[in-house]
Amino acid sequence: MPEVKSMFREVLPKQGQLSMEDVPTMVLCKPKLLPLKSVTLEKLEKMQHEAQEVIKQQELALREQQQAQPEQEQAQ
Amino acid sequence: MEVTLSIDPLFLAWSYFRRRKFQKCSDICTKVLEDSPYDQEHDTLPHISEAAWSLKTRALTEMVYIDEVEVDQEGIAEIMLDESSIAQVARPGTSLRLPGTSQGGGPSPAVRPMTQSGRPITGFVRPSTQSGRPGTMEQAIKTPRTANTARPVTSASGRFVRLGTASMLTNPEGPFINLSRLNLAKYAQKPNLSKTLFEYIFHHENDVKNALDLAALATEHAQFKDWWWKVQLGKCYYRLGLYREAEKQFRSALNHQEFVDTYLYLAKVYQRLDQPITALNLFKQGLDHFPGEVTLLTGIARIHEEMNNITSATEYYKDVLKQDNTHVEAIACIGSNHFYTDQPEIALRFYRRLLQMGVYNCQLYNNLGLCCFYAQQYDMTLSSFERALALVSSDEEQADVWYNLGHVAVGIGDLPLAYQCFKLALAFNNDHAEAYNNLAVLELRKGRIEQAKAFLQTAASLAPHMYEPHFNFAILSDKVGDLQSSYMAAQKSEDAFPEHVDTQQILKNLRHHFAVL
Repeated sequence: MPEVKSMFREVLPKQGQLSMEDVPTMVLCKPKLLPLKSVTLEKLEKMQHEAQEVIKQQELALREQQQAQPEQEQAQ
Repeated sequence: MEVTLSIDPLFLAWSYFRRRKFQKCSDICTKVLEDSPYDQEHDTLPHISEAAWSLKTRALTEMVYIDEVEVDQEGIAEIMLDESSIAQVARPGTSLRLPGTSQGGGPSPAVRPMTQSGRPITGFVRPSTQSGRPGTMEQAIKTPRTANTARPVTSASGRFVRLGTASMLTNPEGPFINLSRLNLAKYAQKPNLSKTLFEYIFHHENDVKNALDLAALATEHAQFKDWWWKVQLGKCYYRLGLYREAEKQFRSALNHQEFVDTYLYLAKVYQRLDQPITALNLFKQGLDHFPGEVTLLTGIARIHEEMNNITSATEYYKDVLKQDNTHVEAIACIGSNHFYTDQPEIALRFYRRLLQMGVYNCQLYNNLGLCCFYAQQYDMTLSSFERALALVSSDEEQADVWYNLGHVAVGIGDLPLAYQCFKLALAFNNDHAEAYNNLAVLELRKGRIEQAKAFLQTAASLAPHMYEPHFNFAILSDKVGDLQSSYMAAQKSEDAFPEHVDTQQILKNLRHHFAVL
């Protein structure tokens, strides 16, 4: 191996004390792998979602009816 | 001359049923029944309407059918008023309730995030694992605040009822069968009708009491020799919370006929009774009769995983993959395990396999993005996250994806981006405790102590099971000089994660301080 004469030399203190302080640092919460959903769970969620949609539509229809009725009464 | 060909309507309905077009099948059956009504009261019926009636019950059942083995949800009442527990404090390795009692030594929360019940998060979520068992009443009541769906008061008021009302919505003219007017004794004597009727009552109407009556009558009619009815009786008892009776029925059914499903139901009973060892033995018995059966192997792996024994869980998941190399749950669990044991490259291979198999959803792309980033494949990272964001179906998912993107930003040192990502996570899900904690760390770097403190307190109140907010709060208070708060927070952190070295260090320093005073 050819000898490489480096310009920099490491500095190792021969005397005196070397001290290091371990400062506790704040920790971050870890990255979260998202769990995959089972088929049953997906079906359950789909069914619940669909049921919610149906209820919403029914409520909307009801509200429209109720709004329509007073207008008819006023017209009469 | 015109010739009109038409299929016999009942045959057409049957064909629709086989092609899983249940709504159409049910509509045709309704028409057939209108033409020749099936009188529920009298016995004067032609066979055709009987067949149509039975087919319609099956179609309606299939529409809302969910695998009974998978469904399991414990309500607050079941957890708190537990009559089946034998000891207050279970011996190590014998209980599912106390996650800390495992022998295998689970992964440390410093590496793998925890769920609220103190279990490491898994790679796969099923209805029963969605929200783990909370330890105290207070926690049980609090749980709905941070879980996606609220925990019901009892399992009888939970999802089943909601599904029951959901199935009622599908026919606004009222229920297809009026259960209160049904002569159960008459149907119990007709084996060709009673089974479909039972499934309709059990799955579609969710009327467990009537279903139980029918099953009891039918099993009597079969002279207690039909294993099918015994399994159904067991299912009814399980839903009613009579676990010992359910166990008897399943055992008796197994004596008549060895069947994989019966083993699974019976193991479910034991898991609910908090007897994981018995369940494991049962699965092994089942494996003697059905060697290499995937569902039984998965059951064993799940129990090991719930008991925090991740290494043996992984072994069993590998066995599962030897039998069925497209098993999504096994691949996902092994993948996540590799990710959290510092091997993101291998995890990446598992998740890529899932992608090849055609799993295409937000969770998978999010996991791929994280694995790519930590495996130093930076080219794929952001595009994976973009896909994940394009595929989200709920705000909670979106929050989680942004939260993970925040981690990527922290990793590349782009702190303003990280800050924005965590803020976005909070915008989509206001209860995201992890995002609050990480935001607090970033705020502190900017020197805003008060803001950081507020975030940490929010995180700690949202997720008392995490050690990070408590620990960070302890450090922060320590720096400000509020030693009392620091000590209290450090103690909470120790409760959440007793082996954490830095927490021990802080506590030691503080105790020393107080002793000097």
